Amino acid sequence: MAVDRETLRYLGWWLAFGVLMCLLPLVVGTGTLRILIFAHFLAMFAMSWDFLSGRTGYISFGHPFLIGIAGYTTAILSFRFDVPIYYSIPAAVAATMVGGTLFFLPALRIRGTYFALVTLAFMEILYQLTKVVAPKITGGTRGISGLESIVSGAVNNYYLSFGIMFVIGVVLWLLIRTRLGIALSAIRMNEEAVRSTGHNTTKLKLFAFTVSAAVSGIGGAFYVHYIGSIAPRGMFEISFLFTILVAALLGGAETIIGPIMGAYFLTVLLEYLRPVMPGMERYLLYGGIALVLYVVKPEGIYAIIADAGRKVQEWRR
Amino acid sequence: MKVRHLLIGAAVATAAVWSLTTAAPAADPIKVGYIGSFDTDTGKSTIRGTEIAIEEINAAGGVLGGRMIELVKADTREDVQEGIKAYEYLNEVENVDFIISGCIDDVSLGWLERMAEYRTPTLDTWTSYVGIIDKVVEEYEKYKMYFMNVSNDYALAILYVDFGKDVLSKKMGWKTVYVLQEDTAFGGGVYELIEQVLAPEAGIEIIGHTVYDTNTVDFGPIYNKAVAAEPDFIYSIAAVRSQVPASQYVKLEVPVPMTGINVSAFAREFWDDTGGLGGGISTLSPVPSIGSEIDPRTQDFLDRYSAKYGDSRPVFPHFNGFNAYYGMLNAFAAAERAGGFDPLDDWVREMENDDIVVEKDGEIWLRYAFWKPGEIEPRTQREYTHNIKFDINPPYDEGAPSMVVIQWYSDGSTKVVYPPKYANGEFEVPDWLK
Repeated sequence: MAVDRETLRYLGWWLAFGVLMCLLPLVVGTGTLRILIFAHFLAMFAMSWDFLSGRTGYISFGHPFLIGIAGYTTAILSFRFDVPIYYSIPAAVAATMVGGTLFFLPALRIRGTYFALVTLAFMEILYQLTKVVAPKITGGTRGISGLESIVSGAVNNYYLSFGIMFVIGVVLWLLIRTRLGIALSAIRMNEEAVRSTGHNTTKLKLFAFTVSAAVSGIGGAFYVHYIGSIAPRGMFEISFLFTILVAALLGGAETIIGPIMGAYFLTVLLEYLRPVMPGMERYLLYGGIALVLYVVKPEGIYAIIADAGRKVQEWRR
Repeated sequence: MKVRHLLIGAAVATAAVWSLTTAAPAADPIKVGYIGSFDTDTGKSTIRGTEIAIEEINAAGGVLGGRMIELVKADTREDVQEGIKAYEYLNEVENVDFIISGCIDDVSLGWLERMAEYRTPTLDTWTSYVGIIDKVVEEYEKYKMYFMNVSNDYALAILYVDFGKDVLSKKMGWKTVYVLQEDTAFGGGVYELIEQVLAPEAGIEIIGHTVYDTNTVDFGPIYNKAVAAEPDFIYSIAAVRSQVPASQYVKLEVPVPMTGINVSAFAREFWDDTGGLGGGISTLSPVPSIGSEIDPRTQDFLDRYSAKYGDSRPVFPHFNGFNAYYGMLNAFAAAERAGGFDPLDDWVREMENDDIVVEKDGEIWLRYAFWKPGEIEPRTQREYTHNIKFDINPPYDEGAPSMVVIQWYSDGSTKVVYPPKYANGEFEVPDWLK
């Protein structure tokens, strides 16, 4: 398979990013690593959202539904039934992919605002189900705590979360550069036109939904084992959904790299403001910064950096 | 001569370095981390109780050889994930020695695993979830650094059943109840306990149950549904925005008596928050509470609280404000005897042995001590390791009762109506039902 120069150049950037992040624990404290671990999980969720909504234009408000399926599946299997986590996590990812196909069904008939609202309903339904159906299994309103950790300590969890995020990022980025990825983008622009060219848009969408669900599943399953607990209010609250959306949009939707940048920006900014603004005021400041960024450059942080890179190149010439 | 000067110089320099290195740790502050909400009355109560205790300890010369205590705070916004980040921040960035929490149930459950990992001594002043205490009982080594100085909800429910038997059933003659429950972890947990114990123990049957969203603004249809079931009374479980169901209950003059848990009714501001529509509302509350008689030692705390915070709400701290104050005194007395918070085992042992008994008129009124590992509470035959040493057996001479019931009257005053030892008023139905 021939790889073009541009892809090689970008892969070089990915490699540099990977090396840099692997060296980071040598120069920063564990407090910073803890912040970055949350950023890595948020990046996984934002990439999952971006692969579905950024690519195909089917705006999902229900990603916590997918993350929740994964989280609850591995939590229940490992905590309630003593299933080893190397079985419970794959089972959780598989269950989430099944959930992804459920998500897909409304997309056969509706899109736009209606689709977004239906996905929101999925999240709300699971929120209620976890509390009402078999609360002895799900832990009801208080959820389950005391979940087994995969690794312990900030450094180990940093490498684990970064490794998963990095692999997901590279795989998704490679995927969107294939003809399949281009076809998915075309769906966003004009689904009818894609269908008229003879492409089976149903299959294409099913693929996007399944991949997105798989990424949410991997992220969600590892996430709950990292934080050690799962509770419906924490998992299905609208603020969790907004955090995912803001990370993807602020970083730059349709890019895969953008959501990673957005997740780092969002998490690091909020946590670094904590010592000087411990209360709600840091959210006001963060909201203001996000608003200005979005107004100035709706394409997101990735576009700002890309523009800056181009200007530097022009200046050097 | 030169050699002697050199030797003297070296000795002086050594002494100076030694004095500096030994004096330095004494000057280092002890860091206490607060975790919880910044903006709610309950969160502010824990913060303020902690601040007053710190002022008191620092004014008395500090702890552990004159070290001052410094407070750092981390906001959770009552969000589970924010709670975990806040706990990590306090440990990884601020390197606190001790954490005091004003968190609600699921937020505490969220950071509990981090606590077990960091092994930081932690005192919870707000959550009453018995499941956390069960974890300490079952996995003592893992969770032994955790203490909770509010009576757990199981103990609260047991005493509430006594209230149900003695007052609701026997005195008022009520036999059926409709439960209105807010959609929170706390609401769900309390409902489970009410379902388990109120019906079989007090002979009161639950004939209906509605769960409502905490953002509900119109309780008319909810009350209509409850009234249609024709219960003898409504049991309301409301912790979040609980002034809304209370004030609408009075405004609509719902034709069925109502009692239960209404957290906003713990606050002196409840009357103003409901626009003077709080009359007839009663709620169980951990001690101390508004309306209750106050012992001299706690009154001294309240006087300092009023002097420091004036009219800033809450003008009267919620129960967790008192818990924070006395809990800090427990924790630092234990640290003083143990030589610090590290080694953990030494501090835990001293914390388990610390015992603050607060008396009123020669009787035990409040007690800030903890159940020890293996100790069995006689009535429930359960262990409550590291929960506050409550007493659910009349005449309550081993500790404070797990709860009291407070009553708001139509003139805006409040009294405690149960249990009899603490009661200074009568349980009443609202004026329109008399």
